[in-house]
Amino acid sequence: MAMQKWTTKHLTLCAVLTALALALSTLENLFPITLLIPLPGVKLGLANIVTLFALYYLGTGSAFAILIARCILGAVFAGNASALLFSLLGGVVAMVIMALLRRCRPLSVYGVSVAGAAGHNIGQICAAMITLGNTMVLGYLPFLLLVSLFSGALTGFVVALLFRAMEHVNLSRS
Amino acid sequence: MMKKLIPLLLCLLLLTGCAPKAESLDIFAMDTYMSLVAVGDGAFDTLQQSANIVNTLEQAMSRTIETSDVAQLNATGSAELRYDTAVLLEEAMALSAATLGCFDVTIAPLVELWNINGENPVVPPQEEIDALLPLVGSEHIHLDNGSATLDAGCAIDLGGIAKGFASDRIAQLYHERALEGGFVSLGGNVYVHGENTEGTAWHVAIQHPEDSSGYACILSLSDAFVVTSGGYQRYFTAPDGTVYQHILDPFTGAPAASDLLSVSIILPYDADKLHGAMADAYSTALYVMGETAACDFWAAQQSFDMVLVTKDGRIIYTPGLIEHFTPVEESGYDYQVLTA
Amino acid sequence: MTTKYSPPELRPKKLDILVAVVVLVLAVVVAVGFYGPKLGQGEDTSVVISMGGEVVERIPMTSFPDGKKVLTHNGYTLELCLSYNDLPSSEGQLGVYVLSSDCPTQDCVHTGRISRVGQSIVCLPAQIVIHLEGASNDGAPDIVVG
Repeated sequence: MAMQKWTTKHLTLCAVLTALALALSTLENLFPITLLIPLPGVKLGLANIVTLFALYYLGTGSAFAILIARCILGAVFAGNASALLFSLLGGVVAMVIMALLRRCRPLSVYGVSVAGAAGHNIGQICAAMITLGNTMVLGYLPFLLLVSLFSGALTGFVVALLFRAMEHVNLSRS
Repeated sequence: MMKKLIPLLLCLLLLTGCAPKAESLDIFAMDTYMSLVAVGDGAFDTLQQSANIVNTLEQAMSRTIETSDVAQLNATGSAELRYDTAVLLEEAMALSAATLGCFDVTIAPLVELWNINGENPVVPPQEEIDALLPLVGSEHIHLDNGSATLDAGCAIDLGGIAKGFASDRIAQLYHERALEGGFVSLGGNVYVHGENTEGTAWHVAIQHPEDSSGYACILSLSDAFVVTSGGYQRYFTAPDGTVYQHILDPFTGAPAASDLLSVSIILPYDADKLHGAMADAYSTALYVMGETAACDFWAAQQSFDMVLVTKDGRIIYTPGLIEHFTPVEESGYDYQVLTA
Repeated sequence: MTTKYSPPELRPKKLDILVAVVVLVLAVVVAVGFYGPKLGQGEDTSVVISMGGEVVERIPMTSFPDGKKVLTHNGYTLELCLSYNDLPSSEGQLGVYVLSSDCPTQDCVHTGRISRVGQSIVCLPAQIVIHLEGASNDGAPDIVVG
């Protein structure tokens, strides 16, 4: 993957997807999950839509690059360094789980997505434990995991829609 | 949000449930922290009067309040005693005799020398201890119809018995007022009265001496005194690392080198006796005695119950407690019932 | 150049249910592990702080502030901390202890960590009492002596 040649088209696609992920991250703030779980930085993980899509469409390397760019830019825009740890850990754990499960053929995009959403929440709780320095926040994980069943299914649904639409438009062909 | 709502709802449930109303009072007096609970008609009034009892006793028996009987007696060698002071001093002398001097209020000069609860305790030179030892012994107290005199140089400290006596007086008050329930906890001196708010005997836990979060055992008691003495909380560490706990041995003049970690004495309420004061004095005396002598002392009398926690990890309790005793499994102790 | 990609399976399959079940089981396991053994502890244990005989604060153990809580009364200052217990007889229980105090006797520091309902730390010079109170009285004694 490291040897992959980055065409202008590919690079542009990555950039567009990063922008989209950032937009979704911002959109996420409109869903006040912190009302349910009073932890600053915890998010639903809608940006996982982009990660999941990129993973299947562009491969692990590009998906990873988009993820890192999204996390860093998001933290810069928000001006919040602690949010970086939350989104990075959440994003990376989700990414790793989805990248592994993607190869498991009997799983559909929904299964991969739900597992990714769960990983996202586990990563975020880890970030919370690191920043808060205690394990009490682990108590929120069961609630977050339940939430991840829905957010994961939603993410999977959106990505499935996206790929169905893609059957008619092939972006990668010049 | 749910996490905040659930406890709130629980609180509402508890508020509407109609447990008998318990009143409580916390006061700092007699060099300790006191916590009192009373359940029943006139509970609040009873607590206020209990606080008066404590304050009155402190005014009479404190070593540091200059106008107290004890301070007067120590300063001038003689004093006219208030009624309760005279009663208690007589009891103290009897208890000293009963414990063969292992509990003795004339230990005061040595308490002052060691000053273990004071600002900067240091280990005094042996010569100073030896010089004061002859002053210890209840034969130095002369009590005659409410007036007392002390031999030259002697002093008394009722601190090892006054809290027990205060619990006696409050227990009497609780009975006079016919309270449904309540308890008095005066720095290691507990009296439990009637039933707890759930309608059962009171559950009194004895502190685990080596684990501040644990219990050594739990006793279910009603109308009884429980007094615990131990060296594990009040102590100081000398520069060489030696730990000196606060209970002094009247025979060596030094902190007792006991093979026990804590001693608890349990006695029933008896309107005609001062069982609170007795339990207070016995718990100190048996700690000083150590395991073997304490067990022999119990076997000879069998007039009280006790729980001993030994340094080598055993808990010894007397057969009279069997029906009231619950061991704490995770305490790590071996439980043994003493036989006469 | 064309990027080769393999589109995923777009319809839910049977194995997807397994993923959901695994996530659910994980949620239950964490919930039981976290809330199960500590019922009667933490969640409904409160740290009650009194100064001079008056209750000044009642903090649920679970929302106790991280780091130190500084208490000042009667001219003395105590630092109160929360942590897990490591002694075998009460391992894994949350407890509070006085980290340091400028009082002369240090009894409050010597008391160590308390984590069970009914226990208290008393600092006589400062007239501060830290007491553990529980909503449910299951198995908790009424009084602790010693």
